[in-house]
Amino acid sequence: MNKSILVVDDTRSMRKMVAAVLAGAGYEVSEAGDGVEALELAATRQFDLVVTDHNMPRMDGVTLVRELRQLPAYDAVALIVLSTEVDPVLKQKGRDAGATGWMAKPFDPERMLDIVAKFI
Amino acid sequence: MTKPSALGDGNAYREIFFEETQDHLSNVEAILLRLQPGEVALDDLNAIFRAVHSIKGSAAMLGCADMAAMAHLQESLLDLLRKEERPLERGDIDAMLKAGDTVQAQALRHRGILEQAPDSEPAEILLQRQLDRPRTDAKGGGKGPVTRRFAVRLAPLAEPIADAELEMMLTGLGEMGKVSAADIENRPGGYVAFQVELEGTALDLQSVLSLLVAPELVAIEKIEDGPSNAASQAAGGAARKPPADNGDEFFVDPEEFRRRRQTFAKDRAAPATAALVASTPAAPSPAPAPAAGPPAEPAALAPLETGYIRVATEKIDLLVNLVGELVITEAMLSRSGQLGSGAMAQRGLADLARHTRNLQESVLAIRMLPISNVFSRLTRQVHELSARLGKQVDLKFAGEATELDRGLVEKISDPLMHLIRNAIDHGLETPREREAAGKPAAGTLRLRASQRGGKVFIEVSDDGRGLNRASILAQAARRGISVASDAPDALVWPLIFEAGLSTAQQVTDLSGRGVGMDVVRRNIQALGGTVELFSTPGWGTTVTVSVPLTLAIIDAMIVGIGGDSYVLPLASVAESLGIADGHLHALPDQGETLRVRGDYLPVLHLARIFPPRVPPTQPGGIAVIVESDGAYAALIVDALLGQQQVVVKSLEANFRKVPGLSGATVMADGTVAFILDVSHIVRLPGRRAAVAI
Repeated sequence: MNKSILVVDDTRSMRKMVAAVLAGAGYEVSEAGDGVEALELAATRQFDLVVTDHNMPRMDGVTLVRELRQLPAYDAVALIVLSTEVDPVLKQKGRDAGATGWMAKPFDPERMLDIVAKFI
Repeated sequence: MTKPSALGDGNAYREIFFEETQDHLSNVEAILLRLQPGEVALDDLNAIFRAVHSIKGSAAMLGCADMAAMAHLQESLLDLLRKEERPLERGDIDAMLKAGDTVQAQALRHRGILEQAPDSEPAEILLQRQLDRPRTDAKGGGKGPVTRRFAVRLAPLAEPIADAELEMMLTGLGEMGKVSAADIENRPGGYVAFQVELEGTALDLQSVLSLLVAPELVAIEKIEDGPSNAASQAAGGAARKPPADNGDEFFVDPEEFRRRRQTFAKDRAAPATAALVASTPAAPSPAPAPAAGPPAEPAALAPLETGYIRVATEKIDLLVNLVGELVITEAMLSRSGQLGSGAMAQRGLADLARHTRNLQESVLAIRMLPISNVFSRLTRQVHELSARLGKQVDLKFAGEATELDRGLVEKISDPLMHLIRNAIDHGLETPREREAAGKPAAGTLRLRASQRGGKVFIEVSDDGRGLNRASILAQAARRGISVASDAPDALVWPLIFEAGLSTAQQVTDLSGRGVGMDVVRRNIQALGGTVELFSTPGWGTTVTVSVPLTLAIIDAMIVGIGGDSYVLPLASVAESLGIADGHLHALPDQGETLRVRGDYLPVLHLARIFPPRVPPTQPGGIAVIVESDGAYAALIVDALLGQQQVVVKSLEANFRKVPGLSGATVMADGTVAFILDVSHIVRLPGRRAAVAI
């Protein structure tokens, strides 16, 4: 069965682009528009990897990572933040929350696939 | 598994991107127009920041570098404001409005709608000016120069930066401030990252750096000062942790990750270790975050994306049409009685009728939009207009949630804008005049919407000088309209709806050319609505516009001629009366007229305009007095068949345009009836022409 990935971004165009790159590589992709939605989805099914934006309404990416890490089912799942923000302080927060990695936007599709392949 | 070489056809995402950019921009504009200088509105600033940030991210991905650059500059200003380095100024709001306009124009350019790329410089200058404003260091209050710390990242490098240049840059920055935590991967696709502490702004830094590399490669983030940050810097700072390729950073080594996962999978039952992210050993679960994860931020902008879908209007119109058909079918079934008189059939029919009505209501509700859509567009105009005219306007809204048909939302904006222009231009006085009159310097302009029955009322009221009765009477007299000088106000005010009448003392470029209020009235009447005006000299003017809730359904009077039925919009029916022989007068050279309370109205025989299939044996006995745009006529018909709501179908879309008919509808018995275009009929050139048709 194909590995499944949850893509979280409040910006629809960005979300669709990430989803298209991943789906094009054969992953099964689900989408969520913010952290809250992502948490709800993650509670109903197991994803093999999560790519999330940071700056989102309702619940930001770092908070989402923190929340997901508290779910036993997501203890060993790679959680990657994909953000235009590259402030080391924020990155550190992400890391403390339990993020597996931090990717800068704009992203290179090839590189994203490489990274995802490493962690899925 | 095929590996896409890139994003493939970016066009699909571009459309989505432009659509959401539009949404973002209008939300941002709405917030900006609401903000007041000096206000501390962190939620609003955050909401704007998020929107601008979204635009920036996708724009950069989709090759819209100009939009990304403008958004970036906006972000810098927002960042400064969010950190309360100085209070919000009028200039900030204006700069961001200008930037929004520029981004919008840039988007239009990318979509090929605009021929030329807009000039982004005016917006850039405004934003930079605001960025360079002196800080009123709210906290601390220290007098000395403030130093700031920035994290700088140049990536991705197209080619390595010459060592000498790099050296020069770092030394140069070193002279401006303190450079630390440098991390350099100087190769194609690599990056240069460092932190720098200096007295300038992010913009100063940016301008120095853009001498060396293309500005879009430069990312500058301000680092908050404070002990906790300093600590976390020390704990896991960039210096200790070489980021992975390309500047992306991994907190876990992939091999390590896999190994741990396998172990984890083996003893899933064992207490889960939070230490998956290995390099922060056994970090106790972070500060007990609020349990079920309540929203991190108040729902300032939250409802925007969630709970809504975008649907093409044609799809909804199709649905409206189909439901219209269903309503008619239901009516036919209920009437025919052919289904049998069994209790089942009766109950089924009753249920069908109820569900159909509910369905119709729900479907029509889809087309309804809150009037705030109109109001928000007007806000911007008021803002600009008052600035241009040197008036102070306090704009107030009420009833923004009132809904009306989206077709009307489009059409009502212009007439309302006209009324608002009039109110600001002619109604409201200058601040000095107002103060002299003992009023507050800022005038109040109130927009109030409400729904009563099947109509939406929109009130535009100002507390300005009011209409000048004498001037209106004088102008009316000049135009040959005779009104007694002691006529009640109720008769005088409507005169300004007459073509060519203006009370403006001087013609401005905005209004006052005397083609104002008559156009407003005509536009509103074309929507089946009315305009009323009430004014008290010295206290202000109130104009009330009423329009039907929807254009898809109208209240109608059904009239019969021969065996045919025609539909008259109820809004254009003044009255109806029975006529007998001798009531119609043939005046020499004027054709037939009907005398109604002293007025002679031109007579139009519906049977002559649209000859019925079965010629009537005797002349019609009922006159329906119809009115359009102030012109009255007596339409002679055979019978009044009742009043009802009808679903309007376009003739042009289904057949072709027919002079004298504005549409068609399907009656309950399944027959088609035409809707008479009263504005056309009353203008039929005189009685003879009507006969000649």
